[in-house]
Amino acid sequence: MAANLAQEDRWIPTTCGVCYSVCALQVHRVNGTVVKIEGNPDSATNRGRLCPRGVSGIMTLYDPNRVNVPLKRTNPEKGLNTDPGWVQITWEEALDTIAARLSKIRREDPRKLLLTGTVTTQDEVPFAKIFAMTFGTPNGWNSGAGNHCGTAEHLFGALLHASWSKLPDPDHCRYLLNFGTGTGSGSYYCVTGMAQRIAEARVRGMKHVAIDPFLGPGAEKADEWIPIRPGTDGAFALAMLNVLLNELSIYDGDYLKHHTNAPYLIGDDGLYIRDAKQQLPLIWDPVDAGEKPFSDPTIKDFALEGEYRVNGLRARPAFTILREHLKPFTPEWAEPITTVPAATIRRIANEFGQEARIGSTIVLEGKVLPYRPVAVMYFKGAQGHKNALLSSMALELLTEVVGASNVPGGLLGMNSCSLGYPETGQLKWTPKADRDGLMVTGRWPNPSPPYPPREVKGAETIDLRGMIPTCPGSSGALPVVMADPERFKVPYKIEMNLHVGSNYVMTFANPKAIEEAFRNVFQVSFALFLDESTYLSDIVLPAASYLERLSHTADWISSNSPVGEWCYHVRQPVVGQIAERRSACDVLLELVERLGMREEFYNFVNLMLEVKAPYTLETDSRYSWEEIVDRRYKSLFGAERGLEWFKEHGLVKWPKKAEEVYWKPFSHTRVPLYFEWFKPLGEKVRAMSEKLGIELDTSAFQPLPEWRPCLSYKENSRDHSLYAIYYKIPMQTFSGTYNNPWLDEVSKIDRFAYGVAINTETARQRGIREGDWIEIKSSPTGNTIRGQAALTEGIHPEVVAIAGCGGHWSKYLSVANQDGKGLCFEWLMPVGLDNVDIPSLTQDQCVRVTVSKARAQP
Amino acid sequence: MRERFRPQREWAEGRGLLLIFAHFLTGAGAGAWIFSLLFGFTPGLVAGFFLVVFGALAHFFFLGRPERFWRMLTGFGSSWISRGLAGMSLFMAAAFVYLLLWFFAARQTSLEQIFFALSLLGALWVVVYKGFVWASSKGIPLWNTPLVPALYISYALRGGAAVLMVLGSLGAQHAALGPLEPLKLWLAVSTAVLVLIYLEVMRGSGMTALRSVDLMLFGRVALPFYLGAVLVGLVIPIAIGGLAYARTVPPELLGLLGLLSLLGDLSIIYCIAKAGLYRPLPA
Amino acid sequence: MRYGMVIDLKRCIGCTGCSVVCKAENATPPGVLWLRVIKHESGKYPQVRRISIPLQCMHCAEPPCLEVCPTGATFQHPNGIVDIDADKCVGCRYCMMACPYDQRFFNAEMRYYFQEHPTPFEQVGYQRHQEGVVSKCNFCLPRLEKGLEPACVANCMTKARTFGDLDNPLSEISKLVRDRGGYQLYPELGTNPSIYYLPA
Repeated sequence: MAANLAQEDRWIPTTCGVCYSVCALQVHRVNGTVVKIEGNPDSATNRGRLCPRGVSGIMTLYDPNRVNVPLKRTNPEKGLNTDPGWVQITWEEALDTIAARLSKIRREDPRKLLLTGTVTTQDEVPFAKIFAMTFGTPNGWNSGAGNHCGTAEHLFGALLHASWSKLPDPDHCRYLLNFGTGTGSGSYYCVTGMAQRIAEARVRGMKHVAIDPFLGPGAEKADEWIPIRPGTDGAFALAMLNVLLNELSIYDGDYLKHHTNAPYLIGDDGLYIRDAKQQLPLIWDPVDAGEKPFSDPTIKDFALEGEYRVNGLRARPAFTILREHLKPFTPEWAEPITTVPAATIRRIANEFGQEARIGSTIVLEGKVLPYRPVAVMYFKGAQGHKNALLSSMALELLTEVVGASNVPGGLLGMNSCSLGYPETGQLKWTPKADRDGLMVTGRWPNPSPPYPPREVKGAETIDLRGMIPTCPGSSGALPVVMADPERFKVPYKIEMNLHVGSNYVMTFANPKAIEEAFRNVFQVSFALFLDESTYLSDIVLPAASYLERLSHTADWISSNSPVGEWCYHVRQPVVGQIAERRSACDVLLELVERLGMREEFYNFVNLMLEVKAPYTLETDSRYSWEEIVDRRYKSLFGAERGLEWFKEHGLVKWPKKAEEVYWKPFSHTRVPLYFEWFKPLGEKVRAMSEKLGIELDTSAFQPLPEWRPCLSYKENSRDHSLYAIYYKIPMQTFSGTYNNPWLDEVSKIDRFAYGVAINTETARQRGIREGDWIEIKSSPTGNTIRGQAALTEGIHPEVVAIAGCGGHWSKYLSVANQDGKGLCFEWLMPVGLDNVDIPSLTQDQCVRVTVSKARAQP
Repeated sequence: MRERFRPQREWAEGRGLLLIFAHFLTGAGAGAWIFSLLFGFTPGLVAGFFLVVFGALAHFFFLGRPERFWRMLTGFGSSWISRGLAGMSLFMAAAFVYLLLWFFAARQTSLEQIFFALSLLGALWVVVYKGFVWASSKGIPLWNTPLVPALYISYALRGGAAVLMVLGSLGAQHAALGPLEPLKLWLAVSTAVLVLIYLEVMRGSGMTALRSVDLMLFGRVALPFYLGAVLVGLVIPIAIGGLAYARTVPPELLGLLGLLSLLGDLSIIYCIAKAGLYRPLPA
Repeated sequence: MRYGMVIDLKRCIGCTGCSVVCKAENATPPGVLWLRVIKHESGKYPQVRRISIPLQCMHCAEPPCLEVCPTGATFQHPNGIVDIDADKCVGCRYCMMACPYDQRFFNAEMRYYFQEHPTPFEQVGYQRHQEGVVSKCNFCLPRLEKGLEPACVANCMTKARTFGDLDNPLSEISKLVRDRGGYQLYPELGTNPSIYYLPA
């Protein structure tokens, strides 16, 4: 219709960055304007489709609230609502200031630098981690570790699945037991890919049982919704384990004998009994009636049951101890804790056990593999509690006891095993066994995986991670230690925060507590917007968004679906530079030069980005970010597939093999059923904490799961208070999408998206009607947030549920900061060591609140 | 999207109020013309004509693209708005000419008779078409009934008579105003009966129509309904009318009767518009 | 040839991806949302069901909006798509009262999403829209002309949408309607929508 002579009409392949699924895009640009974002049909991950956030990226690209120039604060006062008094400065001045500060800190004590990162875009932050490593600081976190991410869940990912995370086998699973995740419904990992795959599974007839306090996006698609009291999923799992092992005797003996430490003999001290000569853990061979090291080639069978004597000591297989240990955890015991009827727990355990089809096999790619078509999923909600470690352990053991771990139909690590890119053999990793036969993950996104555990170091880091090697990534204790390093005998204070793209003030926990901890820190932010966290910044640098920058995003964690094909996509700018925005990677390279860190930095880059000869970075040259990306690509994919090739083709993919996806039967590694080394580790941590004079409750370092109520748990509460929980919706990602007006428009018409879900009867008792403004006051923090009530039958009567991370107050977010645009759940969450699960450093996320109708109804 | 039954908004809120006025003015005006024509009542003719003109202007300014209004004749084959525009245009043209003849020409000429007929036809057309616009709205069950045209015709005629009563109270003398009183009472009573029938039938015409009626009787449209449509628009006028039937009442009271019933006329159109709900989705 | 669409409510997860991609493809201004997703809850705690239902113009075979349009702006293509010639629309909104599905949208005043700051996207895209007229889903006619599927169909994460020829009994959508019990909304009104839903 229009007489537009299109001088330019291009489709540019790139990668989304709104969430960590980093789907592949094709972006349509006409005469320099981006007019459409579509999924790249070639991509094996999202297969040509996108979630609403991916589609909406145009409005973030062109949002006039974007930061366009470097800014400096003129108001020396810092506060959540105190305007920083931004003035524009040049990049030169900004980098001079930053480099000077960094130099000083590096000379004094590099640990005084903290790196705060986002998890979404998957490129700048990993590169910034290399910078931090070179600089010499161990201190870093992503702010989602508070309210939005899994922590203990990732720990068990490493220990049991050799991966950061896991997904159910969408091709073969027949029974999905889903404790509160939104997989297939717009959240968790590989969002778009799994939405499609789980839908196929649903149509294929996979049964989906959702155990969730709220009938949210995930539970809506389930065949059965079982409401549960928040924080009690561990109790449910314990009861199920008890039924399976002690009532039904359903367990995969074969799997346990060969792929776990279930047959390992445990002494009365709770530790492995080891042979005198090689100090290897012993098992009991019932055929030869004697103990042998677990890897002894003469072993004829492994005893799972019984009591034996080795060197005069009582020795029992770990499996026997587990079975014994589970006896008190009956469904009747679990019922008052979880509010799930005992009969239901028993029925689910039975269904799960039956559907696991222990002993059955399937032929894939000509190989006969165990077929265990059940999977247990859990993530943030089920494990975000003070009982994180022990609850996650129970949930994971459900998969292990029926042998459904990393086999067809079961729970698959994302992505545990890769045989490498066929043409170069790069990007190859596989789980390995340590001396004790236990599995060590083949690849890990952080310097050292949780197993084997690093040495316990006291007071090295600002977040207790140095002391607690079982924290897999970010620590929920960081703001606690930052606020009071002396208490934790940390010999320095954080002086500078290199802040890349996260809105940690809003997304961790009580913003007031975060403000206290971070107020006296010099903060340099790479920011798309002047969000709430930039109110604490000293310098803000205008960030190029994911549509405006280049990177490699060879991501194995979040975007590669567990089945199908390996797929690695490029990220390239779809428009020329806008204003003075720059990519953080670019800027970090310049800082490296200014700090004179080139040699050490390039060494780390070569290592971490897997740059190989002849492409390795040499110290006597200076490389641009484009060149580094090019060299990484060539190292991984060959001389013909450098950056230029990727810019044109967008992605490289190749089929996954059965032994990569279902790697367990091909592996000689064993995973723990009995977490033997937790106990001595706990001892070491306790000893270190005593030595330093810190009070640390290490009692949760247990080898077997048990039930411990989290802080908000109160049976038969008489104070009429409720639990508040948070959940994810497909229209928003954390806090960062609330200024997008398209997402705002679709959120406005969903009464849950910006409102508070509350049980109809619970609301009635409080005189609350549909649409009423209500106030939610947190018992632990005393803060109050308000939103409109969305009455529903689909929520546990003791619970109110809040979606996403809205309730923005930054005056620089013109769309997000208006009334009625969601709530910031984090105001309800206290910061403190009491709210952290010590062994995994997981933040507790459910809170006690009082809910009442607001006096003023607009 | 909190409500299962979403109200229509375009014909009731904001600029939608212009449409309410438009329907009210054209109806009352055309009704006034009809009676004035039959009784030969000059002030009524003038009042009727201008009421319709103002109503037409209100229709005009309600449109999103008023400058394209001329296109609205093309849908004559199926659209009641097209037909309405045709009738309204016929009326305004014919009435204008008739008024010219009435004031400046001799009486009882054949030309006058032609435009008498044409303007009467136009006025009747205006009175009748309105209800069919609302009734053919398949999306709003409250309107989607033949009772709506019946109701609107009744209101238009009543409104026309009311205009004449108001003019009479302002001092205009005419013998014809005498028989107007019982006529007006009869129209008022029959309108009231029609309203009752309409509401009762609608209550039994499905979930959505029931809900609409409940809005008028017990919900957010109850205030304008009881105050405007019922009390001011029917009860008081019928009471005054009954009184006037029994004995002589001052013309000012009759004027009040007229004015109040006109307000009621406006109110009922407003209430029916405001209470209009779409069916719930999904079913 | 009669274009139609099947929406599988078993697959649909209510993500609103279709709603947003429609906006992106058609550059609809603020307040004009041609496609929206609603939720419907039934049951009592704890036996509760909530399903997501995408809604848009049903492209009825007997469109009530067409009859009431005074200017002929609303018309129907031979392939069944109900369309609006914006140049002819006077904005009387009669069609909005006639549509039993409430899937027509009036653009009262052309605005920008960021008030006084029109984005380059909007500057280009809003040229396709007029103020003071009614608009709605047109099954992405411009895409169909290029041999592509409507944007909502192409983008749906769970492949819940299928597009095709209802007149062809062998087409995929005809088969889906038959085999999975596809149903229309308010069939008793006689509008004969060309959008069918498959039960959740």
